[in-house]
Amino acid sequence: MILSLAAFLGLWAIVAALVAEPVTMPGPLRVWTVLVDETASGRLLANTGVTLLRVIAAFVVAMGIGVALGLILGRSGRTDRWLNPWLVILVNMPALVVTVLCYIWIGLNEVAAVAAVVINKVPLVTVMVREGARALRPDLDDMARIFRMPPGARLRHVVLPQMAPYIAGAARAGLSLIWKIVLVVEFLGRSSGVGFQIHLNFSMFRVAHILAYAFAFILVMLVIEYLLLRPLERHASRWRQDGD
Amino acid sequence: MEIDIHAKSFAGRPVLGPIRLTLGQGQRVAILGPSGIGKTTFLRIVAGLDEDFEGTVTEIGRTTVVFQEPTLLPWRTALENITLPAGVTAEVARALMAEVGLAGKDALYPRQLSLGQQRRLALARAFAPAPSTLLMDEPFASLDAETAGRMLDLTAALLDRAGASLIFVTHDPAEAAHLKAQPMTLRGSPATLS
Repeated sequence: MILSLAAFLGLWAIVAALVAEPVTMPGPLRVWTVLVDETASGRLLANTGVTLLRVIAAFVVAMGIGVALGLILGRSGRTDRWLNPWLVILVNMPALVVTVLCYIWIGLNEVAAVAAVVINKVPLVTVMVREGARALRPDLDDMARIFRMPPGARLRHVVLPQMAPYIAGAARAGLSLIWKIVLVVEFLGRSSGVGFQIHLNFSMFRVAHILAYAFAFILVMLVIEYLLLRPLERHASRWRQDGD
Repeated sequence: MEIDIHAKSFAGRPVLGPIRLTLGQGQRVAILGPSGIGKTTFLRIVAGLDEDFEGTVTEIGRTTVVFQEPTLLPWRTALENITLPAGVTAEVARALMAEVGLAGKDALYPRQLSLGQQRRLALARAFAPAPSTLLMDEPFASLDAETAGRMLDLTAALLDRAGASLIFVTHDPAEAAHLKAQPMTLRGSPATLS
């Protein structure tokens, strides 16, 4: 993996040297210098933090709504027939249109920004979770009924563990999608965050800055993936180990 | 328990005819008959899992079921597979696990148990809420003769101690005799009990 990354950096450095236009095609060293400068000034941390907060807010709300909706649609055929056409429309609605409409209807504020991301994301989570809800085991349902398990216990011990792979899939797909949409939303109508910085540096043609912010955020997302999502998944799948 | 089924049909095709059965405390009944006759349908109605029929089933006390398959929660430990569905304490669950020969297996997940052990766990779970009636749907069908024999002995011992009545669905009259259950046969179309 280290070799592959080194090859990437090497190729980048060679291309940058051949193009020889440090403003539009900066090399890795120049982007690194900017990254260090922006970190030292505190701007990078502040903007990345704001973006991360928006990502988390949108992620939590979108997963909550999406999982609940997916469960309902997967278990009730009638509701599904009713709401499916709406889902099809929403899934195919361009993120840009939703964002612009949210800013116009709700205003240029934080609520509109998060709402825009949530609306973009909910249909995808719903569709993925619905697949899981359709595949729920009827025999375990029968068992839960026979033993009169209360609804909360049924959800926690019977339904959600079966849904875990689908929810994890939706979360994974969701996170990478959300942070890309958050940048668009920030680009269009916020005055803080990584997306705003990219807007600012785009208007000043500072490619090194744009790349520095992009890499900073990729790093944050990788840290979340390896330090949070993977350990959580491992914990949730303990029961899959076979006996000897 | 009083069972008074007038009729049951699937998509207009009658499956069960009039069936009346009164089960006293501790009474054991075996429902025999060829596969496809409606034994499982009958049991699902009695269990309250199928409410789409004409007639009434009056439960006295609690009814639990031992299904054809162990039907355990694979993502919960053996102990939790008793405490969570049955709503009993860990002590009660441990005592039952010891009775069915699963002492010390508390923390294992179902996949880490053999099929025989999984079935014994399902049996322990069925007795955990102190049921007054136990329903069993061919629970020993896929076991070899020796294991099935041991499971039958175990079931009889637990039934004696709990004083629960039993409706036992099987295609094997020997199993019914082993449990000292009064044999009754589902036959005809729509099927009735005789």
